Amino acid sequence: MKDYVATIVKNEKIAENIYAVTFALDEDCQVRCGQFGNISVGGTHLLRRPIAICKAAGREVTFCYQIKGEGTQKLKTMGAGTRLHVLMPLGNGFFVEANERKIALVGGGVGVFPLISVLREYGEEKEISAYIGYRNKGAVCGVEEFEKATKFVGVTDDGSYGERMNAVQAFAADLEKGNRPDVVLACGPTPMLRALKALVEQEGIPCYVSLEERMGCGIGACLVCVCDLTNGKKARVCKDGPVFRVTEVNL
Amino acid sequence: MANLAVTLCGVTLKNPVIAASGTFGFGREFHELYDIGQLGGVSTKGLTLEPRLGNPVPRIAESRGVILNAVGLQNPGVEHFIEHDLDWLKSTGTTVIANVAGKTLEDYERICARLDGLVDMIELNISCPNVKSGGMAFGIQPKMVEEVTRYATKRLKTTPLIVKLSPNVESISLNAKAAENGGANAVSLINTLTGMAIDIERRRPIIANNTGGVSGAGVKPVAVRMTYEAAQAVQIPVIGMGGITCAEDAIEFLMAGATAVQVGTANFTDPYAMPKIIQGLNDWCDRHKIENVSELTGTLQLNGK
Repeated sequence: MKDYVATIVKNEKIAENIYAVTFALDEDCQVRCGQFGNISVGGTHLLRRPIAICKAAGREVTFCYQIKGEGTQKLKTMGAGTRLHVLMPLGNGFFVEANERKIALVGGGVGVFPLISVLREYGEEKEISAYIGYRNKGAVCGVEEFEKATKFVGVTDDGSYGERMNAVQAFAADLEKGNRPDVVLACGPTPMLRALKALVEQEGIPCYVSLEERMGCGIGACLVCVCDLTNGKKARVCKDGPVFRVTEVNL
Repeated sequence: MANLAVTLCGVTLKNPVIAASGTFGFGREFHELYDIGQLGGVSTKGLTLEPRLGNPVPRIAESRGVILNAVGLQNPGVEHFIEHDLDWLKSTGTTVIANVAGKTLEDYERICARLDGLVDMIELNISCPNVKSGGMAFGIQPKMVEEVTRYATKRLKTTPLIVKLSPNVESISLNAKAAENGGANAVSLINTLTGMAIDIERRRPIIANNTGGVSGAGVKPVAVRMTYEAAQAVQIPVIGMGGITCAEDAIEFLMAGATAVQVGTANFTDPYAMPKIIQGLNDWCDRHKIENVSELTGTLQLNGK
């Protein structure tokens, strides 16, 4: 973990309301899939923006972000050459055991981007099926990455791209056909994760979910971004997560 | 090189820059970024006798120039702190200030007695705006400030007591004076200002607790004014805080009458904020040919006087 000086190389729209920003860093950065960075947009914005790392290689790192508020609005206007501070890599990230050969990725909304990082880290050695849900055709992104998976099923809420269903339904349909993974890695809106939790617990498939929460420090000190664990305790999404075993968290 | 050391109720700090409670945990996370032993002090996450789970999420929101938080005193309890974190925190070489809160007057007495002699200083949180049972009831009326301070000091034999004051009061001067009368060795201020931020799409407050404590750069003028007023009202040392982002901000508080300062929200904006402020204090003193940073305290001269 380090506060990198990051220079924007490219910052462009990749789907409706979604942008991808690529930074050149002042030093090498070792990133595990599923980790995130805390990006300072400066000015009157005292909080940094915690955003999942989508791609990282040496001194180049790409984040994809949804325009949500003033901070991301400001980030979107920043052009090549702009220098920002990015504290990273943060959080635990996804980890796949050696004996887990078949991975299912289940993602929706901006949750698809940390899953792209999984594909980039494990794509060569594992058999990966990706079940990705988008709101509509305009929101579709990352397809060129997901198509590198062994199998890619892209669906939309309105049927304007792929079948009309959500990512969990797409995963369930394939599961019924006998395509059973050793582990499921997921990221997306809470209702999606909730539906997935019910399914994988019933099926007895190990599953890890990456959670999102409003954060303060991003490093585990301020106890702002907590989630509820099934054992009655709280965990810090930024430091103990963002990836949790689905059986350990209350969604 | 200026001498940055300051003495606060008999305890010498390496420099006047202290991490503010609630923004810094027990220091372990920031120690991964830099040696926290270089800090003047660390005020711990607010401790209570029993562990607390805190408020529901979201616990934080941003507004231009400030943030709002309502963590709700989540903490592992004072015994857990003593067993797992205290020795480590001391070993870093920083000054350890235990921030404590309670539900009843007796809670304050007990937790202070428990920590007596174990930490360098105790900071009494009687002003957490986010929890009904976080001591806010004790932080408003001067009479109650004095009473809770008396309870806290009842069985305190060696460790100096700082009383952290709420800005959400009628008179900061009277409350500072009340803490002094109750036996406080110092006062610190300001705690956060109670505020609200609304998500207009949902027509609901962003923070689950509805209201939160406002902190950050935007509150600084209020905090400087209150620090000045408190320093005028009492003989005991004053620790100033509220929106300090850089060395120049810290110097304002010192001139207004503070002996030391605390830095909170700035740690989120820039995790290296405190080492930079310490360096900046040194550089400013050198440029102004000031040998001891403590010479700055209370040097403010009002206009027209």
